[in-house]
Parts: sequence; structure tokens; C-alpha cells
Amino acid sequence: MKGEKLRNLSFFLSPMIIMVGLFYLIPLVFTVYISFTKMRNWNIERYLTEVVGFYNYQRLFHMFQHDPLMRTVLLTTIIFVGITLIINVFGGLLLALGTFFINERSSSAIRLLWLLPRMSPIAVYSLVWYYFFHGSEIGTLNSILMKLGVLSQPIPWGQIVPWGAWSVIIFVNGLVGVSFGMIVFTSALNQIPKELVIAARVDGASAWQISRKILVPMMKWHLLYVLTWQFLSLLTTYPHLFLLVQWDLVSRDYGTTLALYVYNTAFGRGEQDQGLAAAAAVLLSIIGIIGGLVTLKVLQFEKMIHEPRGDIE
Amino acid sequence: MRDVETRPKKGEWIIVFTILFASLPLILGFALLVISSFSRDMVTNLSLSSFRPTIENWINVFQGKLAITGGIRQNILKITLNTLVVALGVSGTVTLISTLAGYSLSRIKFKGRKLMMLLLLMLHAFPGVALIVGVYLLYRLTFPQEPSFVRLYSFFYVILARAALEIPMSVWLMKGFFDTIPWELEWSGIIDGASRIKVWRQIMLPLIKPGILAVALFGFLAGWQDLIYVRTFLIDQTLATFIEANIEAEYSHMPLIAAAGTLYLLPTIIFFLTAQQLLLQSYSGGIKG
Amino acid sequence: MVKITLDRITKKFGKFTALNNITLEIEDKEFMALLGPSGSGKSTLLYTIAGIYKPTSGKIYFDERDVTEVPPKDRNVGLVFQNWALYPHMKVFKNIAFPLELKKAPKEEIEKKVREVAKMLHIDHLLDRYPWQLSGGQQQRVAIARALVKEPDVLLLDEPLSNLDALLRLEVRAELKRLQKELGITAVYVTHDQAEALAMADRIAIIKDGNILQVGDPDEVYYKPMYKFVAGFLGSPPMNFVEAEVEGDMLRIYHSRIPIPKQYGEIIKKLNITEVLFGFRPHDAEIVRGEAEGIKGEIYSFEPLGREQIITVAVDSDVFVKVFAPEEEHFRFGEKVTIVPREDRVILFDKKTEKALEYL
Repeated sequence: MKGEKLRNLSFFLSPMIIMVGLFYLIPLVFTVYISFTKMRNWNIERYLTEVVGFYNYQRLFHMFQHDPLMRTVLLTTIIFVGITLIINVFGGLLLALGTFFINERSSSAIRLLWLLPRMSPIAVYSLVWYYFFHGSEIGTLNSILMKLGVLSQPIPWGQIVPWGAWSVIIFVNGLVGVSFGMIVFTSALNQIPKELVIAARVDGASAWQISRKILVPMMKWHLLYVLTWQFLSLLTTYPHLFLLVQWDLVSRDYGTTLALYVYNTAFGRGEQDQGLAAAAAVLLSIIGIIGGLVTLKVLQFEKMIHEPRGDIE
Repeated sequence: MRDVETRPKKGEWIIVFTILFASLPLILGFALLVISSFSRDMVTNLSLSSFRPTIENWINVFQGKLAITGGIRQNILKITLNTLVVALGVSGTVTLISTLAGYSLSRIKFKGRKLMMLLLLMLHAFPGVALIVGVYLLYRLTFPQEPSFVRLYSFFYVILARAALEIPMSVWLMKGFFDTIPWELEWSGIIDGASRIKVWRQIMLPLIKPGILAVALFGFLAGWQDLIYVRTFLIDQTLATFIEANIEAEYSHMPLIAAAGTLYLLPTIIFFLTAQQLLLQSYSGGIKG
Repeated sequence: MVKITLDRITKKFGKFTALNNITLEIEDKEFMALLGPSGSGKSTLLYTIAGIYKPTSGKIYFDERDVTEVPPKDRNVGLVFQNWALYPHMKVFKNIAFPLELKKAPKEEIEKKVREVAKMLHIDHLLDRYPWQLSGGQQQRVAIARALVKEPDVLLLDEPLSNLDALLRLEVRAELKRLQKELGITAVYVTHDQAEALAMADRIAIIKDGNILQVGDPDEVYYKPMYKFVAGFLGSPPMNFVEAEVEGDMLRIYHSRIPIPKQYGEIIKKLNITEVLFGFRPHDAEIVRGEAEGIKGEIYSFEPLGREQIITVAVDSDVFVKVFAPEEEHFRFGEKVTIVPREDRVILFDKKTEKALEYL
């Protein structure tokens, strides 16, 4: 029996373990290693073995303290993560509660609509907002405001620093993240026994009172889950920002978060500095790992994993 | 039915309209993109006079006529095919691996199972940007010397690397699907003399077809929409990198890009229309764990 | 066709003990029912016999063969599940043929055996359908056919009738009993329905909290229960229990005194017991208007059932007993009556251990 179990396990699990090893564990070791080398412009032949100790980390912390560009990146990261997180959690909650109280047809239509930002290709989704916030007359926002007489000249919204640029990146990512909260909260709401809602209705409660007094208090775990998970995800997301900055829709300085900074420093146009990028990436990973561990602990995920009930022994 | 049916209808309509109003930019943005692709000028300025219907953009897209690239014709069919290859590759890899691993995590007791599942959850939340630096180094170190293999290898690598990103969540999703199949069906097979592998292939796989479909679909969309991995590793262009590179078109060419974008959006739209229930359900199932 | 011996089986799930030191012999060709409330461990015991669970300690023998470590596929058992566990993606024929295909039996043999067993269970006209196209009763027959097709030594059934409606259940019950005797197969049948167990089994093992309380043929467990639990679990409505105190040759039951039943006279003296539970079945008592020698009380409620009626009598302010009475008798709420239990059917239990006095 023992040998057979081992054979089964390796049949089922080895493909996954190989993939995780190849594309998570080895790269992680590589990234940490690169952060201790002088790697630049991916000149592997020359720099791969040139170990410089903590030089990149010292540079990084020096930049945190003195480089105004880097300080802008940090500030942008904090503002971006903070405000987008609030929009994500509350937007998701409001959408989930709103669709809870309307008929099934409208609610699935609305949920599908709000899944669109997440499901559509990053390039297309960014393209949509590229046109919407475009700095010329073809920009939808500009033309609306000009038609209303608020503006006489088109404004390059994303180039107004800092708040114009911040608003655009927060708006674009905010809409993507809302769907996560919406889905989690909707599934949580569907698990709440409907008798509770009906009982409250019979007692004369309004939708607002039902939400506040019954539904939201029963979703505490899910609120925490969305909050922490979305925090980690926002901290490390960058594909949309990459395009918005690349396309000059938003200011490069105030549209770059730490994650995008890492990517652009390692793979961007012009001078690349992988040593520095790797050091910043390691820093980001440490925050990510700590955040992840805290999340797992606080949300008690391990208690949700049950033993397989009926495995043959 | 989640609420009583006799509540006032007025309140319901207020909610619907409020949400629709909040969704207006979203609807508007996507609608203007699609409409612009059928117009000579961009209609994103919301002026009726800009809308001059034509299908020329679409003809040009398929002929690859893009003046901005210096008169070089881009074979958009080839680019679409590249995107499709990546998407199908990612989808297939993710589906195969997660149906295998999902089964064992759902059904087999072994040491380290819990740890493995928590680890997967952690990997899912792990900063992708920290990995990509190392993933690129691995790519360069394993790069084939033979020049004729280079393009093939870049496809192979981008598919595996991108699939790896989807694996933690897909394995959890798949495990969730396996969890819903009654144990009795499995016991019944085992008592009749089937091995676990046989049970997996002959009894379980036919029963979790919806799960396989969902994971395959998500895998496909992940590969289809990917920008970062494709632009970092793939030598050929996909629709994502094509749009990224050609955005700075003159105004006169913007509708052309809109057409390319609409083309790129098509699979998403098709999945939305055909598999919406599956999408909504498995999304929540997957996230729930 | 084997004799099953369970030798001191204990099964623990973590800290929870599902089976506690179970010893049981199931004879060759015997129909044994494992009867107990849900969560009693009866299904765990069945799955342990099947080999799905491995006992934490103890041994299982099929005849002389120790099968404790043998995987399920090598035990040659057929198992019918509560939800029948038909493979939804296979047609009926394929469902029944699957165990034989796994054994790599030749095609003609599979064809022949499937048709044989299908004919025996009257489902030969359904072979070309999918499980969801069948009624509950038909699905159940397919499940039994699938269990029987590989000619198992032991047939294990896990509440196979509980998903059928009441009328069908009665019909299948009789048929299943007949089938088991015809095939001469050793059968173990798990159920929580006492009527099913009494009607079908050769012997019944009553299980509670992982322990076997009593094993015996239906008459034995019905008329000679060892425990209050067994007495209360078998029969519907269940046996009445009222507290009684021994006063010399008499028992005081609330406001009444009745003589100690003859069969218990000596036992009570020998054991020197003062407090007992007085048990009698609703069928084994008469109800008399007014005062008589028996348990006095007043009519609390009555439920006509057609041929007879169930009378609930309040013996004290919140102590009730149920007794059957002929339909033609009419009672009024609050009417004074006396219950006269049939003396030889009365069972006295020790109040502390809840064990019948004769087994103490």
C-alpha cells in the first residue's frame, strides 16, 4: 500500500511541483542572487559573477532618503495602494449589497459588466481609458466637460501632478479591483440563510437596515479577506500602470509605483539596472511574504483545509 | 429568491439606476471603442459628426496596412495566431496540471498536504514582479544556442512561465470541484478494483467537466490577455504588444487601433455571452477556496 | 459466501472514537442488520468491512483469511451506497459492466453476466439509459446489480432504501430479502429504520456511540431488550418508560401501586434494587375507564389511526405514556382511566445503568 500511495502521489503532484520549482523557487533564488551582483543591461557574461554584497541595498536606501524621484515613487505607491484599496473594498461591498436586493436578471447583468475590467485584455482595457482620459479633444472626459462649458481647452489629465496622475491610475485600477470584492461578498451573501432576510422584512426592516444590521456583520471574515488580499495585490500590480505610463497618458514620475519601478528598472527602455531592481524586488517580496503570512494567520485559512474524509487507508 | 417578493418595486429600480449610473464610464468606454472601430474618425469625443461608418479599419487591420510602422505590413493574422498559441498553450498546461494536482489535494491524505495548500495560497499572493527578474535570468541561462530554435523556445518558455502564474489559483479551484464529487463514486470504483489513477481518469474526469472547462477558460483568458510576460519573453508579437507598440498613431489611424483592440476583445465577449454562469460561479468558487 | 469475523475492532478519527472494541460474527449466508441512530458508527463499521477504512486496532476475518490489511478490491465485496453512487456519465449497461471491465473480463462474458443480473433484477429493458433517466427504484436496482455482477462473497448495503418513497420501500424490502436468500450471499445491511431491520434481517446488531449493545434475531431484540435504549429504539411508537419505586412486593408508580411482575420478583430481591424503570409497549397494555388495578392517570390526548387509536395518558403532571385502544372506544379529555400492562411483557430496567434487570 505504501509504495502504491507514493506512486500515485508522484503521478498527480510531480507536474505541479516541477512547475513551482522552475518558475517560483528557482527564480526567487535567482532574484535574491542578482540583488547581490552588479547586473546591468542583462549583460550576463560580464556581471553574473560580479558579487557586490549589499551595495544595491545601500544604494536603494540612500535613494529612499535622498533621491526625489524615488521618494515620489514611494509616495505614489502609498497613495495608490491606500485609496484604491478603499475604493475596491467599499465599491465591491456596495455592488454586492446592491445586486443582492434586485432581481436575479439585473444582478447577473451588472455583475458581468463589472467583471469586464478584470476579464478583458489589459491592453484593450487600458486602451479604453487611454481614449477616455486622452489629453486632446478626442478624450471623452475632455469633450464632455467642454460640451458642458466647464472647460474651454482640453486638459491632459494624467499630466497634472500629482493629483491628476494619481486620480487616473487610481480610477483605472480601482475598477479592476472592485470585481474581486464584489464576487467574494456576493458569494458570502448567498451563503447567509435567506430566512434571516425574510424575518427582518417581516419585522419591517428596510434594505439599508438589513444591510447594516444583518448582512455586513455576518461578512466580517470576508471583509478582512478582501482587505488583506487586495492590499497585497495592489502592492504588486503593475501591468495597467505600465501601459498608462508607457503611452504617456499619465506622468512617468507620479504614475510609477514601486512594483512598476522594479519592472521598468529591470526591463524598461534605456539604462537597465537589474541589481537595483532585484534589491527593490526582494524588499517588495519581504513585505508580500509578511503580509501573506499575517493574512493566513488572521484569516485562519489552515482551519478551512479539511482532511479528505474518505481516503482509503 | 433572496429577498421577499412583495417589497416595493420602486426601491429596486432606484438601486438598479444608481448602479447603472456608476457604471456609465465603463459602459461608455467600451462602447466608444467598439463604435470607433467602425468609423473613419474616433467617436470618443461624443460628437455625432465624427461618426462616419466604414469597415475600412477592419479591412486594413486584416491586411496589416499600418502607415506608422514605416510602410511595413504587419501580418495581423499571424499576430492573432501567436496570441492564440500562447493562450491555448497556457490553457492546456494549466488545465492538465491542476486537474492532476487538484485531485490529489482533494482526495489523498498525505504528510505536508496542508502545508502545500497554504504554500500555494502564498505563491498566489507573491509579488510577480519579484519573480520575473529571476524568471528572465533562467530564460537567458537556458536559451538555446541553435538560432532556429530560438523563436520556438521563446513560445515554449512564455507558455510555461505564464501558466505557472495561474497554477496556484487553478489548483485550488480544481480541488474545490473535486471536493463536490461524492466519495461514494470513488469508493465504488475502488471496491471494484480500480486504481486511483483509473478512478481519476474514468470516473472523476468525466464528472468534473464543468470544472475542467472553467479552468481551461480562465487559463485561456490569462494567456490571451497577458502583456508583461509576452513582451518580456516572446520574440514574436501578440495583439497585446502590437497595441502597446502602435498606440502613438496619428489621429487618422486611431480607429485602426480601435479595430485591433475590438478584435482582441472578441474572445472575452464570446465567453461572456456563452459561459456567463460558469464564469460567475467558478470565480466565486475559486476565490472561496 | 464467507463468514465474517470482527475481532475487537476500534476505529478512531483523530480523538473521536467511532467504533469501540467491536466484536461480531456474521455467519455464512446470514442477513445481518446494523441498526442505530445516525452518528452511531454503523456506516463506519460497514466501510471497515469493505476496506475503505482501516481499523485503528483489531482484526477482520473472511472465513479464516485475515483481511485487515487487504485493499478493498481484493476482498471481493459488493457495496450498495445510500445515494447509489451510479456513475452519471455511463449508461446502465456500462455502470453494471464497469467492475467486470476493471477485472479485464472477456467481452462476451461481461455481456452475458450483465444481462443475467439485469434480468434477475428486472432492469434488462433499461440497459441503454442513463441513470438520470431512471426512477429512484430503478436506480436502486442498478446499484444492486452493479454490486452483484462480480459475484461477491459479501454484499454490503448502506441504507439503500432511505432514498425511496415509503410505498416503494415496502415493496423493495420484501424483494431484497428474497434475493439474498436465493443467492445465498452473506449480507450486511446498515439502517436507522427499526422496522426495516425487523422485517428483513436474520439477526440485528444494535449500535450506539460506537458500541454494539445487543445482537440477536428480531424476536429476541424486540421482546428481550438488554437496554432501555434498545427497547426504546425498536417498535413504533416506542416503549413507555415510567419511574417506579420498589415497596415490598409492590411497585409505586406515581399515584398508583401495582404488584411486581412475577418474572422479576426474585431478581429484585436478589439484587436488592429500589429504583427501576417500568417499561411496557403501547400494544401490551389495556386501558380501562375509571379506577382499577394498574397505573392511574387521565386522558391527555387521542390520535385515531383508522383501525385503532393511540391514547396519550398523563400519569403525572408531565409524565405521559402512550397506549393503543380499539377505535370504537371514545374518550373525553381529562377523563380518569387506568392502564393495565400485560404482566409477562413488562420489562424492568435498572435506573442507573438502564440495563434490563435480568441481564444485570
